[in-house]
Amino acid sequence: MKTIKVKLNVNNEQVTLQVKPYETLLETLRERLSLTGAKESCSLGSCGACTVLVNGTPMRSCLILTPEVDGAYITTVEGLKNGEKLHPLQQAFMEKGAVQCGFCTSGMILTAKALLDRDKKPEKKDIVKTISSNICRCTGYKKIIEAVEEVSKKAE
Amino acid sequence: MILPKFDYKKARTIEEALELYNKYNGNALYLAGGTDLVPLIKLRLFQPQVVIDLKGIDGLKDIKKVNNSIVVGPNITLFELKQSSFIKDYLPCFFESLEATSCETLQMRGTIGGNILQNTRCLQYNKSLEWRTARGFCLKMGGQVCNVVPNSKSCFSNYCGDNAPSLMTLDAKAKLVSPGGERTVRLEKLFSKDGRAPFNIKPGEILKEIVIPLKKTMGAYEKLTVRGSIDYPLVGVAVTVKDKAARIAVTGIGPSPHIYELKEINEKSINDMADQAYEDARPISNAVLTPLYRKKMVPVLIKRAFKRISTGGGK
Repeated sequence: MKTIKVKLNVNNEQVTLQVKPYETLLETLRERLSLTGAKESCSLGSCGACTVLVNGTPMRSCLILTPEVDGAYITTVEGLKNGEKLHPLQQAFMEKGAVQCGFCTSGMILTAKALLDRDKKPEKKDIVKTISSNICRCTGYKKIIEAVEEVSKKAE
Repeated sequence: MILPKFDYKKARTIEEALELYNKYNGNALYLAGGTDLVPLIKLRLFQPQVVIDLKGIDGLKDIKKVNNSIVVGPNITLFELKQSSFIKDYLPCFFESLEATSCETLQMRGTIGGNILQNTRCLQYNKSLEWRTARGFCLKMGGQVCNVVPNSKSCFSNYCGDNAPSLMTLDAKAKLVSPGGERTVRLEKLFSKDGRAPFNIKPGEILKEIVIPLKKTMGAYEKLTVRGSIDYPLVGVAVTVKDKAARIAVTGIGPSPHIYELKEINEKSINDMADQAYEDARPISNAVLTPLYRKKMVPVLIKRAFKRISTGGGK
């Protein structure tokens, strides 16, 4: 089967790839670009562990075929830090103890980032609603919500 | 989970999509958001030769007012629709069903067309190929009998869309295109009531528009789920009140939503209708809650929806 040429901007780096027509964005990121921040968990779009930002919108990369997003800007959790400085959400997740096993964390952070990008000061109920897109089986969400609240409090 | 091999084509126009469908002799699936389709392909419930992406078709992304209707393009995402103040103010039942669908991230990917035309679900059907092979194929997979109701020749899989029932209560119509031309049908006519092939859609036909009458309504959508998010309705009830009459749709039980009408709304008529809906509901053990509980929740949700409407709609 013929491969398809795809151009992507991944974490501000332009990449051109030849991908299989039935390849998911998650496979491309993890296996071709070695960006293993997005995790494969349920593989059916339920859990949110594979969430990445596609043109700023959080999406399940396990449900997206790479050719579908030709030309898109992709942000993974690896692309959040600024040099050696962590993104405020990454910092807050560490400080608030919002990480236990860590498998959902990259998806949680990117989902929260998309929320804070469109609403700097979300109410707690909005944070809860947005975070409910991602499943965490360790922390009980409380610490995660606290971490997002912490970042929104500091926002100007 | 790895996808099986298939080709990928992006259509720029409806004509191009129809041509591609023909070129592959119908061994093709249309892709919009993919939140329903991709898992089905991953589970080997469908193995197309080609997937035709409809997202490149500009005309399917519009929302506009035409005469006395609002015309919604099927490729608009559920999240985009939710942002429309018009839908929130005029079509509250639809707004609530959009809000109740899955979770925000999936609403940002899933389209209204794909949501309406999602496949029916069953605990014995939405499983991996290995699981299904070990159990034996059921009617919906091409087997001889239903795996939930032994010896039954009917498929009892559940239609789990949130938005089709609310649009049905709003008298919405669907415009479809095929090589033979266009046709417009009431949304309820799209349902075949047969779980094996739940929609009356011709091979290759594409949903082009959803047409909703432009009139201020009152309404509510009630949904029974186990989780607060990322869940299909185990029972869903959509109620729209317009011109002192009401239309009610019950979803999540069986392959097609049930529609009821009330010419006048009072306590007795609501109770009678709720009793009738209880009688009509025939859930079986193919979802994560027991059939009896789901059946009992049908009248509860109907009355709850009417109560909310009578008190201003808020939750």
